[in-house]
Amino acid sequence: MELFYQFLSNTGYYLADYRNVIMIVVGSLFLYLGTAKHYEPLLLIPIGFGILVGNVPFFKGFGLGIYESNSVLHYLYFGVVTGLYPSIVFLGLGAMTDFSSLLARPTLMLLGAAAQMGIFFTLLGALALGFLPKEAASIAIIGGADGPTSIFLTAKLAPHLIGPIAIAAYSYMALIPVIQPPIMRLLTTREDRLIRMRELREVSKKERVIFPALAVLLCCFLAPASIPLLGMFFFGNFLKECGVTERLAQTARTAIIDTATILLGLTVGASTQGDVFLTPKSVGIFLLGAVAFSIATSSGVIFAKIMNLFLKEKINPLLGAAGVSAVPGSAREVHLVGQSEDPENYLLMHAMACNSSGVIGSAICAGILWSFMVGL
Amino acid sequence: MYGLHAIAVHNGWAMALAGALIVFSGLVVLSFAISQLHKILIFLEKKPVHVDRDQETSDVEPQEDKPWLSLPKQFPADIKEVARLYKPLVEELGETFYLSQLYEMSKKNGFPHPHITLTAFRESKILIPDGDGVFTWNPPTENYDNENVEG
Repeated sequence: MELFYQFLSNTGYYLADYRNVIMIVVGSLFLYLGTAKHYEPLLLIPIGFGILVGNVPFFKGFGLGIYESNSVLHYLYFGVVTGLYPSIVFLGLGAMTDFSSLLARPTLMLLGAAAQMGIFFTLLGALALGFLPKEAASIAIIGGADGPTSIFLTAKLAPHLIGPIAIAAYSYMALIPVIQPPIMRLLTTREDRLIRMRELREVSKKERVIFPALAVLLCCFLAPASIPLLGMFFFGNFLKECGVTERLAQTARTAIIDTATILLGLTVGASTQGDVFLTPKSVGIFLLGAVAFSIATSSGVIFAKIMNLFLKEKINPLLGAAGVSAVPGSAREVHLVGQSEDPENYLLMHAMACNSSGVIGSAICAGILWSFMVGL
Repeated sequence: MYGLHAIAVHNGWAMALAGALIVFSGLVVLSFAISQLHKILIFLEKKPVHVDRDQETSDVEPQEDKPWLSLPKQFPADIKEVARLYKPLVEELGETFYLSQLYEMSKKNGFPHPHITLTAFRESKILIPDGDGVFTWNPPTENYDNENVEG
């Protein structure tokens, strides 16, 4: 009988507390949103399931939890804390990305830069709320709306915040259809939204091949700390465009990125153990994440309107909202909002140009913030 | 430590300003570089034949920027008629050419709305993409060849 009681006292039912229950509800919500609502299912489902796995209570010392040094989950989590998975995800992203629209209309890159302002405003906000500089920089990068970049920078600067920051970043990416359209409508008039964009010129293959090599040099010379992300990103894109490594590009954009996404999502989810995750800091991170994302969207739209004051050929200010690097969610949302005013207005390709420059911009920002924090 | 004091103590204003300026300048430089990329490529890829021809004529007088085609006052609406007017330009460019070359040449010669016209040519399969950003000319057949022979 004593053996039976001992067994019972080691079960999850006995060890569970309210924080585990809250996190299991959150995990279930992620699974529901991913499965039933199709909100970023490739991200929310691994993370949601990881939250369930990470919040099964267990007897400490068995080597089961993600924070116990000899557990399997801990070994898998190694790819997160070293920044390995985000780099691999960037390799796959590069092999998927078509920069033709950006090459055809390079001025749209400025909208990708403008949308990064959310990062720096949030940096100030986080410092004002009492976060330490490294924590503030990790929270600020949520404004880039780029999950892998957020995880990468947090792993380098504030590893203890990876869970809340990753969950906040991916949550807001999944909630793009809810967050961005009201901001876009609020900051633009109907006339703005009706602006049609000129058809993009044909981009030659040589341009597409030269671009990743040129871009990696220009960006990484400016912010060398972004090499792990942008180096892999442009390498993946070169594999895609050079025309002689299609097999490698195919593997990078399928098996490799899928494997990294599965392990990244699952382990990030599992890192949200209730006792570690549910703290006042996490609540602050979630609030600041929402602010960061909203400012990023707004600054892109406002900057597009400012550009229109000087441009002969006006650009549709909605495109500014695609300057955040949530690919392709924000581009799709810009296109849908544009089409809700004028069904014949096709903004998708132009929005993808802003989107891909947003990816580059947020990775540069991560590099800049990381280098600012060296020595602090 | 909270509020503006915390920002100031942690050097937040300088980090935010410098960070924003660096990322902006980085993307502006990249944007400028890629905006020049296709122009550089076109410059480097100009066929030697064209270079020679330019050199030959340059001794006499610089013809490049002057229109050398006379266009009708009333521009035709029919795409095939328009294609007939474009034919001398295409012959000048050779069998394959970049769209931007045709665009520049049509602009120099005073063709109205060359961008829209070239888009219409592409949609009507008169301009056929040949990969690598290069195009070939596929003249419309109906009544076109006869007029050419007459011309």
